[in-house]
Amino acid sequence: MSEYDVVVVGAGPGGYVAAIRASQLGLKTAIIEKQWLGGVCLNVGCIPSKSLLKNADVAHTLRKRGKEFGFKFDNLELDFSAAVKRSRQVSNRLVKGVGFLMKKNNIDVFMGTAKLTAKDKLVVTDEEGKTEALSAKNIILSTGAHSASIPGVEVDGEKVVSYQEAILQTHQPKSVVIIGAGAIGVEFATVWNSYGTDVTIVEMLPRVVPLEDEEIGIELGKAFNKQGIKTLTNHRVQKVEKTDDGVRVTVSNDSGETVLEAEQALMAIGFRPNSKGLGLEEIGVELDGRGFVKIDDRMATNVPGIWAIGDLTGKLLLAHVASTQGIVCAENIAGAETVTLDYRMMPRATYCHPQVASFGLTEAQAKEEGYEIKVGRFPFQVNGKALGLGESPGFVKIISDVKYGEILGAHLIGPEVSELLPELTLAQNMELTAAEISRNVHAHPTLSEVLMEAAHDVEGHMIHM
Amino acid sequence: MATKVVMPQLGESVVEGTVMKWLRQEGEAIEEFDSLLEVESAKVNTEIPSPADGVLLKILVPEGTTVNAGTIIAWVGEPGEVIPMEESGEPSPQSMMEKPSKKETETTTSQDVRPAEQKVGRDRDLGFISPVVAKLAREKHVDLYQINGTGQGGRITKKDVLNFLETKSQDSTTEPEVAAWETPGEGDLFRPTELQFPDRFKKSSQEEQKDKISPQVLSHAAIKEDKLVPHSNMRRSIAAHMVKSVSTAPHVTTVMEADLSAVVRHRAFYKEKYAQENVRLTFTPYFMLASVAALKAYPMVNSSWQEDGILLRKAIHMGMATSLGEEGLIVPVIKHADNYSLMGMARVVNDLGDRAKNHQLKPDEVLGGTFTITNHGTSGSLFATPIINQPQCAILGVGIIKKRAVVIQDAIAIRPMVYLSLTFDHRILDGASADGFLAEIVKNLETWT
Repeated sequence: MSEYDVVVVGAGPGGYVAAIRASQLGLKTAIIEKQWLGGVCLNVGCIPSKSLLKNADVAHTLRKRGKEFGFKFDNLELDFSAAVKRSRQVSNRLVKGVGFLMKKNNIDVFMGTAKLTAKDKLVVTDEEGKTEALSAKNIILSTGAHSASIPGVEVDGEKVVSYQEAILQTHQPKSVVIIGAGAIGVEFATVWNSYGTDVTIVEMLPRVVPLEDEEIGIELGKAFNKQGIKTLTNHRVQKVEKTDDGVRVTVSNDSGETVLEAEQALMAIGFRPNSKGLGLEEIGVELDGRGFVKIDDRMATNVPGIWAIGDLTGKLLLAHVASTQGIVCAENIAGAETVTLDYRMMPRATYCHPQVASFGLTEAQAKEEGYEIKVGRFPFQVNGKALGLGESPGFVKIISDVKYGEILGAHLIGPEVSELLPELTLAQNMELTAAEISRNVHAHPTLSEVLMEAAHDVEGHMIHM
Repeated sequence: MATKVVMPQLGESVVEGTVMKWLRQEGEAIEEFDSLLEVESAKVNTEIPSPADGVLLKILVPEGTTVNAGTIIAWVGEPGEVIPMEESGEPSPQSMMEKPSKKETETTTSQDVRPAEQKVGRDRDLGFISPVVAKLAREKHVDLYQINGTGQGGRITKKDVLNFLETKSQDSTTEPEVAAWETPGEGDLFRPTELQFPDRFKKSSQEEQKDKISPQVLSHAAIKEDKLVPHSNMRRSIAAHMVKSVSTAPHVTTVMEADLSAVVRHRAFYKEKYAQENVRLTFTPYFMLASVAALKAYPMVNSSWQEDGILLRKAIHMGMATSLGEEGLIVPVIKHADNYSLMGMARVVNDLGDRAKNHQLKPDEVLGGTFTITNHGTSGSLFATPIINQPQCAILGVGIIKKRAVVIQDAIAIRPMVYLSLTFDHRILDGASADGFLAEIVKNLETWT
């Protein structure tokens, strides 16, 4: 039996990063992965979707804005399968990179399904059914999560699909009903709509991207309307039926039922943890009511020696949060210097068009928590760089505490706003105030000037408005 | 062939050493120059490196045992190798046949999240104070030095300040941070403060309750069996030094005060710059250099009493008394202290201080001092009468640096003041010359540029 200091179960962005950090800290480390090195993120999630979204951006410009930019076509042909092929190449390249990183850090990789047989023992079963027993002083669980479905609706991968089939299929549907207006729903809406699919999004809550600040949801809703994406908010899905040539989705709101017909339906209502079948119940690892593994600030579960990170812990289901948890976890195992995480202050990015990025409290949350707040806003409409890019919708909104000037949150919608977040999260992390951001000179012309102006607005003296 | 490990001679006059801790177990692999054991001699702990590659074959001297320098204390060699009999003396043939057992290295798992270590107290660098924390501290009159930082690199975060305030408010015995009469600029100066700000003098209902029930809180010391704490080598050594010193030299102490405005200004200006060079600039280097210059002006202080005369030392080797907490104290020596710039001095002070606290001083680094400074002010002491570190002539005691009201040209000013006490050997110096020397140090500090 091979013995390790640390065995990581699941090689997604949480698991493989935890393994690297553990190995760097001198721990003998192995990682077990049943399907993909790099996990959902690299293979069928964050990465290939960003590649598709770039194609979508170009497609949208050519199809809808050719006249504005001065391109004329007699017969514009869009090959969606080429976009998918490109996304697979991007994905594969990064997956190879993970393999290389494992080798470079002397991490043993076991491809197979893991099951815990004791609190310090695991069995890996590979595709051919061969088993291998490992013993580990510490086990890091990072098995991730899977897409949830509405009770009674079967995801068959053809007519009703999850993000996984949706990202791998080489054609776009002619028409689609997207159930759920979270990050996955709105990103696929953006991709398909750009290629000419008739898109309808159904959302139970009052706005698209319902967990974001209210103003952001309203702004994105407006942009979607303009792009021809139909949004049915405040609508519940009653049933999803398969027909000969697609699906029939019945939705309802206060004024009655509506029937939507489409070639496909995309189920994007959320995620459930992959906590079953690992042997956790037998060992007594504590789960919460929804099946997520409970952890403390160190990423430790209730069973000594068993740790958990990433989507499996249900804190904030984002790749970079999983990676950060992985680093903290490995450092705690090794007894190295580390930090604790404030999940509320983690950056969040959604790559619809226009992009949405945020961290911290929404305006409503801040008020609810009793803060006296100042809100600074600045629109991209008067930003030179945004106008040059032809991307003027959107704005930046900074929420700051009146008493001590602490930045409580920021909400951005507009061009490349995901790239603008780090300045603000660093400021929040180091407890800088809007005053420091507004006095930080930003190059001209850049999109980031909008941050500076929004900070000026918090201080009460915008320059360019 | 197996290589022997011998107890090293840890200094010219040191003839024996105590094995404190074996850092490897028998059978464990070790590389040449890896630390093999810790040895204590007189007051210094030293790590002894392995003389060769291989495994630790046999430990001959168990932990806690004192042996003469030169004694073979262990053998290092290839696994299973035979130890030369005539030299080892002790090992039985059986023990030599033992196969080295693989010792598992324990994975240490800390129970708490471990942020960077940062001690509470004056003698520390607060590091980056965020604007949010600064604002909060100003408003709540919080002394940030009292707060343990849990942020990255020990940074004090807003959360830390709030936690501190919370625990403080729970602790009813804590005095209010700022007394009412110390808050300036509010109300009528000529009315009694109690009448103007009655709420500041209100007792909490809890306190009033307490007053009623038991006007006097008696302390009940628990009766426990008395306990003998065995002397450590360090404790013994300190005791011997102290007794010898007071019984040989007639001690006299003289005290002066110094206005540190110039030094404080200088330090505030250079602190950041030094920090960029990774040098922590404390006040100690200033006292060191001010004393070095004074020693040059008064060479008689840099001396030793001998029966046939007073031995004037040419070299200036400054001792720096460093507290190791309950464990004791140690005096690392800055050799040729007159060769250092302020930055060089700051660097060597930090280095010796850090290594003293971590028990990493080399034996020679605590020998040969010609003058000593003890900074008892770091623990709050105003002034003290320290004992001379023999065979030196004098020791400078530095008190706490405090803002005091002083009279300058018939006006009251607030100045960072310090009491400096010089304890000297009256066989060598008389009061007037000792005062001259101390006044020179004061002058050097007050005119610092």
